[in-house]
Amino acid sequence: MGANIYKNKKPLFLFLLPAFIFMIVFLYFPFFKNIVDSCMEIKQLGISGEVLNEPWYSNYAKLFTDENVRTSLKNTLIMTIVTIFGQVGIALLLALMVDNIKRGAKVFRTMFFFPIVVSATALGLLFNLIFLYDTGMINQLLSMFGKQELTDWKSEKWALFTMMLPVMWQYVGFYFVIIVTGLNNISEELYEAAAIDGATKLRRIWYITLPLLHNVLCTCVVLAVTGALKVFDLPWTMFPKGMPLKSTFLTGTYMYYQTMIVKDVDYGCALAVMIVVLGVVLSRLVNTIFKEKDY
Amino acid sequence: MKMKRVAATILSGAMAVSLAACGGGDKAGEGAKSAAADANTESAGEGIAEQAQGGVELEVVTTFAGNDGNAQNYKTFYQQWEEKTGNKIEDMSATADDTFKVRVVTDFETGSEPDVLFFFNGSDANSFIEAGKVVSIEDIRAEFPDYASNLDDGRIPVSLVDNKAYAVPVNGIWEAMFVNTEILDAAGVTMPGADYTWDQFTEDCQKIKDAGYTPIAAALGDIPHYWWEFSIFNYNTPENHLTIPESADDEMGKGWVAGMEDIKALYEAGYFPENTLSAKDDETFAMFTEGKAAFLLDGSWKVNGISDSCQSDPEDPSTLDADKLAKFDVTYVPAKDGRKATDLIGGLTSGYYITKKAWDDPEKKAAAVDFISYMTSDEVVPEFAQHGSSALKNVPEVDENVFNELQMKSLKMVAGSTSFTGPVQDLFQGESRVPTFDGMPEIVSGSVDAKDAVQEGLDIYWSSN
Repeated sequence: MGANIYKNKKPLFLFLLPAFIFMIVFLYFPFFKNIVDSCMEIKQLGISGEVLNEPWYSNYAKLFTDENVRTSLKNTLIMTIVTIFGQVGIALLLALMVDNIKRGAKVFRTMFFFPIVVSATALGLLFNLIFLYDTGMINQLLSMFGKQELTDWKSEKWALFTMMLPVMWQYVGFYFVIIVTGLNNISEELYEAAAIDGATKLRRIWYITLPLLHNVLCTCVVLAVTGALKVFDLPWTMFPKGMPLKSTFLTGTYMYYQTMIVKDVDYGCALAVMIVVLGVVLSRLVNTIFKEKDY
Repeated sequence: MKMKRVAATILSGAMAVSLAACGGGDKAGEGAKSAAADANTESAGEGIAEQAQGGVELEVVTTFAGNDGNAQNYKTFYQQWEEKTGNKIEDMSATADDTFKVRVVTDFETGSEPDVLFFFNGSDANSFIEAGKVVSIEDIRAEFPDYASNLDDGRIPVSLVDNKAYAVPVNGIWEAMFVNTEILDAAGVTMPGADYTWDQFTEDCQKIKDAGYTPIAAALGDIPHYWWEFSIFNYNTPENHLTIPESADDEMGKGWVAGMEDIKALYEAGYFPENTLSAKDDETFAMFTEGKAAFLLDGSWKVNGISDSCQSDPEDPSTLDADKLAKFDVTYVPAKDGRKATDLIGGLTSGYYITKKAWDDPEKKAAAVDFISYMTSDEVVPEFAQHGSSALKNVPEVDENVFNELQMKSLKMVAGSTSFTGPVQDLFQGESRVPTFDGMPEIVSGSVDAKDAVQEGLDIYWSSN
């Protein structure tokens, strides 16, 4: 017996088994079933498909001709760019500023992180009120400053801005906390040495902070890109059914719309497969571009 | 003549149940419920009741949950039935949204359906009726002749699958046009009546617009349903409204296209709110109740919604501002070439089903029949029906004093109607709706031709039916 007990790895598999079964049942099986369903004819939600579509790949062919798919891909791409520059970029600026103040850093950390703990649906409802046409906060403020006409912040002209601003605002705090943690890991001695050599604050950021934050920023960008592909609840709460004129669909909201509203379940499955493929390709691409470095 | 008889029967039922429904104060309501329970002990078939005694547990799924106005009524009455029979209800009710519908269909698919189900009787029920998983009223009566005998069979809706009745209805709905009379007065427009025409309506809309108000409260990008239904109904009659055209070019199809064009004309004239394509329904409803929009096309459930908006505490009817409520009225939707203005959309759209699973269980069969007999008895139905209609044969005596002003106006409007026709959109479900429902903004803004949209929807419908 003795030390042999540590060499026997079999009990480990026993402990891994429940999680493994859970993943198989609730993730991998539904995923592969979803691929099969995307080729089947499903008449109603809750009913399984019995016959193949004619032809079986018709839903995938439809992806290339559906105008709303193009809109949702375009909007998702814009959302990805907004998350990279709007969320990670602003978080970086805020973190650098907070890192340079002596007092109150903790207060800012808590304040910026707070939106993350509020549910996205609640935030959607909140921003609905802020951007409301008739009695919304922004239009009331504008009228106080003398603006005569009301602005429809949910019209085609403003819809993407109105949708993406709250999403951006919600997640800035998340990346802010990650970047602040990264900043704390940079040795103070490096800054002191640079200061003695006469480096300005901007030069210290450019030559010390940013290179040493590279890996943290890479992680943030990968998280932001994959997160942008999954955004659903807040946009759907504010702009259900792609309102107005189907101009605000994202890949996730369009998949939900096709499945739950239109009840074209098999096409919804094909859209889900498209989202997974897009997610894998984009995350590989981002990983390749923002490859982590060893220092 | 026949139409008049049908309408008279429906209206008498609607009036009676509506008048019986709304209790003024809590005491009055409780008294009515208690009396109903006592009377019902005798009213449910004695034979059924005897068989149903004992500790049977029934799984029941209904839509009387969440914000449904009858959620508390349902709880009260099933608990009274439990006390009376010694049986137990395992209540699994939920709000009637898309998730609920999916849950019900999936439960039938996987063999985990309840014993008794209160559900829609339109195309939503097709899958489990086709699968033979619920029992028809005719089959139940073969063994329990008194089952639903207090209801008029002519008013119990039949299934789209086999033309048989499965669901025992409780309360119905109607759709009409609510009016903010304060705006009408300000614009110099008289209150529309039973002979209201489309031309008069558009003239009134222009006057209201000129007076600086929004004529119609509607969110066409969110809920175009009521305008869709009535605009099409304007070119049909109650007899043919439920016929789906085969093409946008046939006689019925041309009516559908013309209906869409009428909505487009209203949009182009600027009679809808400026943000009608981007607003949600609750926003435009608020415009109506806050005195910014004059007309609102909606259903009988909005009587309570408007009343609630006139209360300082929406939960407490005693806080009602009667003067504010007096500014609201309800009238008929303006008519065009087909129906009369007094022809309404409405009907009994849900009912109690007994599943085959419960029917085949000797213990549960009688209990399920007794439970539904109790919940659809002459005494219980009026508590649920409120401003809607019901299928009751016997019209109960009612006290008009328990109603607020808008409820009384609603009853008067319903009393003046000439027919109730079911919504054709209940037959025109799923993907076939997309081009003209979700596509309404594209139609009214001119980016999609109304005829093309109608044809696309019909093509989808006929390819799957």
